[in-house]
Amino acid sequence: MLILVWIFILGSMEMAKKHKPEFRKLSGLDALPEMVGRAAEMNRPVHFTTGLGSLTDSVAPQLVAGLAVLAHVSELCAKYGVKIIYSVYQAQVMPIATELMKAAYVKAGKPEEFHEEEQVRYLSGEQFAYASAVQGIAERERPAANIMIGPFYAESMLFSETFQRIGSIQLAGTARGYQIPFFAVVCDYLLIAEEIYAAGAYLSGDPVQVGTTRGQDFGKIVALILMILGILATAAGSTAITGLLGM
Amino acid sequence: MSGQRKGIWDYLEDIPREVLYAVLLVFFVAPMIYPLGLPVPITANVRKWYATIDALQPGSVVMIDFGYSGGGEPELGPMAVVVYKHLFQKEGVKVICMSTSIEGTQLWDKAMAEINPSRYGAEYGVDYIHIGYIAGGETAMAAIGKDLRATTSTDYHGDPLDQFPIMEGIVDATSFDLLICYTTGGDQSEGWVRQWYTVYGTPYMCSVLAMMVPTMLPYMNAGQIISVTSGAQAGEMESLVRAPARGIKSADVITLTHILCLAYVVIGNVAYLAKKSQGGGK
Amino acid sequence: MSTTLKKTIPVAIVFVVAMLVMMDYFIVTPPTDAAGKSWTSGAVKDLQNWGIILTAFSLGFGAVNLFYFHSKHISRRTPKQWMFSLWLLLVIVTFTVVGVFMGPNSTSYQWLYNASYFALSATVYSSLGFYMTSGLYRALRFKNIESAIFMVVGVIVLAKNAPALAVYYPALAAWGSFIENVLTTSAQRGIMIGGALGAISLGIRTMTGRETGFLGKLTEEEKGGGTA
Repeated sequence: MLILVWIFILGSMEMAKKHKPEFRKLSGLDALPEMVGRAAEMNRPVHFTTGLGSLTDSVAPQLVAGLAVLAHVSELCAKYGVKIIYSVYQAQVMPIATELMKAAYVKAGKPEEFHEEEQVRYLSGEQFAYASAVQGIAERERPAANIMIGPFYAESMLFSETFQRIGSIQLAGTARGYQIPFFAVVCDYLLIAEEIYAAGAYLSGDPVQVGTTRGQDFGKIVALILMILGILATAAGSTAITGLLGM
Repeated sequence: MSGQRKGIWDYLEDIPREVLYAVLLVFFVAPMIYPLGLPVPITANVRKWYATIDALQPGSVVMIDFGYSGGGEPELGPMAVVVYKHLFQKEGVKVICMSTSIEGTQLWDKAMAEINPSRYGAEYGVDYIHIGYIAGGETAMAAIGKDLRATTSTDYHGDPLDQFPIMEGIVDATSFDLLICYTTGGDQSEGWVRQWYTVYGTPYMCSVLAMMVPTMLPYMNAGQIISVTSGAQAGEMESLVRAPARGIKSADVITLTHILCLAYVVIGNVAYLAKKSQGGGK
Repeated sequence: MSTTLKKTIPVAIVFVVAMLVMMDYFIVTPPTDAAGKSWTSGAVKDLQNWGIILTAFSLGFGAVNLFYFHSKHISRRTPKQWMFSLWLLLVIVTFTVVGVFMGPNSTSYQWLYNASYFALSATVYSSLGFYMTSGLYRALRFKNIESAIFMVVGVIVLAKNAPALAVYYPALAAWGSFIENVLTTSAQRGIMIGGALGAISLGIRTMTGRETGFLGKLTEEEKGGGTA
């Protein structure tokens, strides 16, 4: 199954070089310019967090997905003259985030407006110390927009409720199923699970990245077919499909 | 219009947070001070958990991961304590503990102080041991499962594992008859499925935060986890093990606060619909 | 710095390591040793131990970073900040000194931990209950069909999870179980499958050098050129 998904994804990457597939609308990502624009009008900053997790653990893909969105949001903020504050949980992410944000400001032609110490804040490597610090940023600096993309744990509700209370517009996205319901209840826009992995491709528009997303959709179709066949086979008393999948 | 007085429905539709929290606080604290002794049903998952431990034979070896943080201690601590008590009641069952959470060793000490293993005739190094915090999350689980001695050679005090009788013959995941995990982080509870159950077929149970249970249910329904419980169900386990403690006490709190939340939902909806019928409402 | 050094070599390392770990997980690759373990087993074991060491190192790195960051606030007397930075560093030093000289299992360290960090951590975590309550009160409203379904399901599960209510109204247990074991489980499975496929897709993009976020700053030319 994994090899099949690989073949689909690599094949889609090649096909996408000739013909770029289309994405369905992801309203959360489409709303990013609106969110940054709102912050510009209100003369308040944008807050960004990629949650907990490091580059060496199992949630690293979500963190990388969040960094891809951070780069895009930093460009928008640089363009509109809005201050973006990135709250860092893991120290190892700081140099990467700093470079991404600096590059965004350089690309927007405003390198002098990027202040690393003010905008890239390492808060704490402890979950609730980090959560308290982010809530402190919310209360003191009152960002107009809060963007949370990455692996989130129990602090998700703390963040969303606090920022909701101060009137921030919020976009959240995580692949951690435990926290999706909390974001769904409070946040204005939500990216569910695989949508955060597609975010980098969606925002960059790179045909090859978009192609990989199409490849994973083929994988889903295969999973769906296997599910239907499995249900029918099991109902008929056959173990062919479950045996094939080693279950 | 600005300055217009708010009616009762306006107020009930948008009760200030301070009022919500104050009433909730009263419902939290009151049953802790004056326990009501409300009934506690024993659910199927807790019964399965109990039966699995009860079925352990003398000589069985259990691995426990104390993978929760200080924030989760009030919920998972009681469950960890009562399960240890149950395990200590079983003759000849050995319990080896590790932590994938950095606070795990402190929380284990806290649990041991509450359990008092000597009361069950359990001796450190013979019947139970803690091999310390292993950094790396899922990498640690995989490493321990592959070769425990290569990953850690001392217990959490720093004493060599070889000197403890309990560690005789313990090599890798195949040396264990049961794996139990307490965690506030889904990466641990799911990681053990990937690294131990899938690779070695080790029977596995986990106790997680109540909000994590729905996400762990697919694994249980697929047969990869024997039973998933929430720490809030510690009271049920205490009833079965006949060791009432913090778990039973918090069952009253859970009942009353849930009823209060239901009341809030009803009040909010009644106010919303009443306002709508009067021609207002957002 | 050339593209080879900045991008090609790191991506090649990612590719080789990822392939090694996946091979070891899924297949037994000859030659095998006397115990039947493949040649990848030893290499992956070492990689995993290196991963554990790196994670432990990053904890120390975080502490150094905290010192660096907060020392700057203290030296500059940043308004409304420098006192908190000073307090933080004092607490770090206290915990470190007690932990190193008396041991992390000593009664002194245990007391420090229980009296400060554990209590604060549990308190902040407990505040979640309040936030959830206010979120619940606002969200479970009969505004349209979707929110009505959301409300009904939420109310049933809330009631089912109240132990005493489940005793007096046994039907709640049956409805709650149906919601959890059928509706929620199927939705979670969909999310998990989608999330897993997304992670695979991101992994392939990373291994082929298409996803370069983790490499930090790269020029457009460097991003577009070269795959492993």
